[in-house]
Formats: sequence, structure tokens, C-alpha cells
Amino acid sequence: MRTVSRGLPLLAGALAIAYPWLVPNYYLVYAGALTVMYAAMSTSWNLLGGFTGYVSLGHSAFFGLGAYGTGLLVVRLDVPWLVALPVSALLVTLFAAGVGIAAVRVRGASFVIVSIALVSMMNLVVQGWRSLTGGSTGLQVPSPFPGLHRGQTHLVFFYLFLVLLGVALLAWWQISRSRFGAGLRAIREDEDKAESLGVPTAAYKVAAFALSALFVALAGGLYALWFGSLDPIFVFSILIGSSMVLMSLLGGVRHLLGPLLGALIVAPAGEYFLIALGETQIHLTATGLVLVLVVLFMPEGILARFARRRAGPSIPDESADQRLQGVSS
Amino acid sequence: MSSLRTEGLTKSFGGVLAVDGVTVELRDGAINGLIGPNGSGKTTFFNIVTGMIRPDAGRVLYRDREITRHAPHRIAHAGIGRTFQLCRVFPRLTVLENMLVAVRRTRLRELMAGLRDAGETERARHWLRRMGIEHLEEAEARDLSYGQQKLLELAAVLMAEPDLVLLDEPAGGVNPALIDRITGLVRDLNAEGRTFLVVEHNMDMVMGMCDHVIVFDRGAPIAEGPPSAVREDPRVLEAYLGV
Repeated sequence: MRTVSRGLPLLAGALAIAYPWLVPNYYLVYAGALTVMYAAMSTSWNLLGGFTGYVSLGHSAFFGLGAYGTGLLVVRLDVPWLVALPVSALLVTLFAAGVGIAAVRVRGASFVIVSIALVSMMNLVVQGWRSLTGGSTGLQVPSPFPGLHRGQTHLVFFYLFLVLLGVALLAWWQISRSRFGAGLRAIREDEDKAESLGVPTAAYKVAAFALSALFVALAGGLYALWFGSLDPIFVFSILIGSSMVLMSLLGGVRHLLGPLLGALIVAPAGEYFLIALGETQIHLTATGLVLVLVVLFMPEGILARFARRRAGPSIPDESADQRLQGVSS
Repeated sequence: MSSLRTEGLTKSFGGVLAVDGVTVELRDGAINGLIGPNGSGKTTFFNIVTGMIRPDAGRVLYRDREITRHAPHRIAHAGIGRTFQLCRVFPRLTVLENMLVAVRRTRLRELMAGLRDAGETERARHWLRRMGIEHLEEAEARDLSYGQQKLLELAAVLMAEPDLVLLDEPAGGVNPALIDRITGLVRDLNAEGRTFLVVEHNMDMVMGMCDHVIVFDRGAPIAEGPPSAVREDPRVLEAYLGV
């Protein structure tokens, strides 16, 4: 059994690596790259949402900033893309840490509103600063691989996003096994109680917020290099942030692979609905229906439905008292 | 040196004066009791001391160092632990994980160390054994009975190695056998050098366990002393019985 459980991730990894060579056309490679990008982003979102329970609908702000940061460094300063990508992501992370100090002071619905306000503000700033960003007409970013045709570019970015996904998963896994991760989960369960046990909750939340922004910004930077055309309306769209939330909720926010599973369902489904129903907003309705069904029947996500509880409610209520009486007698 | 001292501590909520210029001093190394009718300001006092609520005026000093308005985690690091009036555990974490949340230091290297650090895990198991719930370490806290959760809450507080432990109604909602057990544990922990401040409505427990009792009424202390003296104090009788 143990061999099987160890072998499955290896098999899944091998299948992911082989995917572009197994599908019949470049469109499916493109759809795969898009799916892996969303998987990386929702896994990153889950560093905050899954651990702490703070639901951010505004993570597309970091996606957009990562995209524009990389694009501007390449276009305006002629910085090589391999340098522009991490520099932009680090700047966004610092920005996120600054924003986080203020944002995570509020909880629940107030935090959600703050996160939406953040993405709306970033959208307005980028659209308004025409001389730098190109405003609402967007920004054209040259391809880092001019010698490759479009299909081959999809192939390269499929693997780049796959690496990002791997790193994001590794970060989530490492944190989940650490005392820092235990502190973050405690914040999700009962923030005041965690604080009373010595957990510096504000610092923990800011760290999770910034780390979560880092990987989303990297995804944004890769997106800019991949698509080559940045539209502020799209990259700072609430929809991208909502997709991260939807994918994570669907797969299960408490599980390492939950957001990945959610992305594997939602992103291809979105592409399918887009083809089947046309380029109208109606495909979003179909995606929304999926979410409604999940919330109704699997409120903790698909993986939670199948994950084994470590111990069920079968613990006898009296067991501790009986033992205590045994101790005292 | 006093364990904990407050000077002129005041807190009001809207027009209600919950804590009214409280100046008290705990007996170091003793089991201190804090009693009073409902709404007399005991829990608000607890919340101010542990940083959960900021006072309007006054100071809190712990081992002669001012901790007024410090964040709760800093107060925990200073050596003050607390339980809550309604028992609070992390319901979806296992019993062992509940124990390992307690943080004594915040060095990055230690924070990123594995959760199942052998030394810390053994320390957690030690406290679970003392509470009699070590067999439940892999269970999620939400699956425990209320009494078991009370024991887990106390064990998690002790994991942070506090010198002063504030217990808010430790006997609330638990059966008589468990009350005896908690009383015994508090006595043992006190004998090992910990100071306690216990808010409790169970007078048998307070009078039988505490060395020193402070009585609150309408947000201010009206009497204090050994249990035998407090029990006979006419101001206390008036506050409780209106006679």
C-alpha cells in the first residue's frame, strides 16, 4: 500500500511531463499550459487561504503586477527576461508584504473587501499611468524565444509553469510540516487562541500573504512572456482571483493537492465551455454551477470527501473520565 | 518581586464601566483566586492582563516590567499563559498538533523546523500523559469530549512553559471527578513553582484550592485575603447575596 501511495505521485509527475507528447495537437498543449499555470496560482493562493483561512479575491493584483513588472523591465529597461522575472516577483513580494501589514489586520468579509479593493486600485493605476504601462491599450512584451513558432512556445511554457507548480507544491508541503505551518493552521482555527499561545499571528499572516504573492507574481511574469500582450482589464480581473479561490475550494483547501485537482477540473472545463458555448460570459455560468454543486455536496472540497479522518467521532466520551477515575482510585 | 501587579486599570465598553481603576497584586508562587458575581469584570480583567483587550487607563506589570498594551503573543512569551471561559482548542488539528502550536521563540530556523521535532514531541507527550489524554494524540480535537478538551487546553498552555497561568472557569461544564482532577493538577503545578490566577464560580473549588482570594464587584476589588477571611467578609456576602 505504501509503495502504491509513493508510486502514485511519481506516476502523476511522469504523466505530467509526458503530457505534451501524448496529446495530438498544440491547442491541447496550450490548454495544458493554461491549466498548469492556474494550478500553480491556486496552489500559491492556498498558501494563504488554505493555511490561514483568509480568503483573498484580489490575488490577481499580484498576477497583474508580476506580469507588468516583468514586461516593463524587459520592454523599458532591456533587462534579460531571466532576470526580469525574479526581480519583478521579488518586488511584488515586498509590495505584498507592505500591503499585507495593513490588509491582514481585518478578518472575514472585511479582508475579502480589502483584497478586492487592492486589485481594483492596481487596475486603475496601471490603466491611468499611460506613459509607463501603455494604459488601457496594454503592453506588448517580446517573446523570449523568437526562433520558436507559437506551438513550440506553448510547449516551453508548459514546462516552465510545471516547474513553478512543483516549487509551489514543495513550499506548501514544507510549510505544512513545520511549526510555522502549525501556527498558520492555528490562525485558521482560532486566531485569538493562537495568539495567546505565543503565535505572532500578524507576522505569520503577512509572511503567508507575501509568500503566496511571490508565486502568483512569478506566474504573472511567465504569462507576460508567454502571451506577449498584456491587457490590464484581463490581468487585473477579479475573475482570475476568483478562479484561484474556486479551484482551491473545489479540490479542498486543506490538502496539498486540492488546488491542483481543482485546476485540473475547472481550467479544462472552462476551455470546454468556451468552445461549446462560444465566447460569451455564459461559460462562466457553467463554471459557477460546478462551484454551486461542490459547495452543496462537498463543502470541504473533493479531496476532503475521500481523505481518511485520522480518528473519527468514535472516541468514547467517557474514555478520559474513566481513565481519570482509574488514575485517582 | 511581585508576579503580577496592576495599577489603576480601567476599561469601559460604551457607557458600561467593566473594570474600574483596579489596583491588585498577585501572591507570587501562590494559587490566587478571583471571584465575584456575573458581570463584575473578572474576564475583562483577564483579557486586559493577557493583551486581548487594551485598557483605557492604568498599567499592568509582570515581574516589575510593564506589559500594558503588549500584543498577546508577547505576553505569552513573557511567561503568562491563559485558558478561556468557554474552552477553546483548535478543533481540526490533532491533539498533538494542538500541543505543538505553542511558541516560545520565533527564530526563523526553529519555525521552519519539522513539526514533529523529537524533543518538542516528547515534551508534548509528557503534558498529555500528565493530563491523562496521551492515548488521544492522533485524534482531532473536535472529536474529544468537553472534559477532554478542557484538559487539552490546559496542556497546550503548559506547553508554552508559563510561570503564571490564568485559568478562566476551569470547572465550568465538567463533571465532579474531573473537577477533582483539575484541582489536583493545579496544586501539583503550583508546587512545582507556577503561580496561578483562577476565576471560578465553584466556591468549593476556590475555597479549597486557593491560597489567596480577590473579590470583584462592579469592576473593582472589594475584598481580598485568605479564603477563610474572605468567606466571612460582609462586603462579599452583600455582593453575592445582597445581605
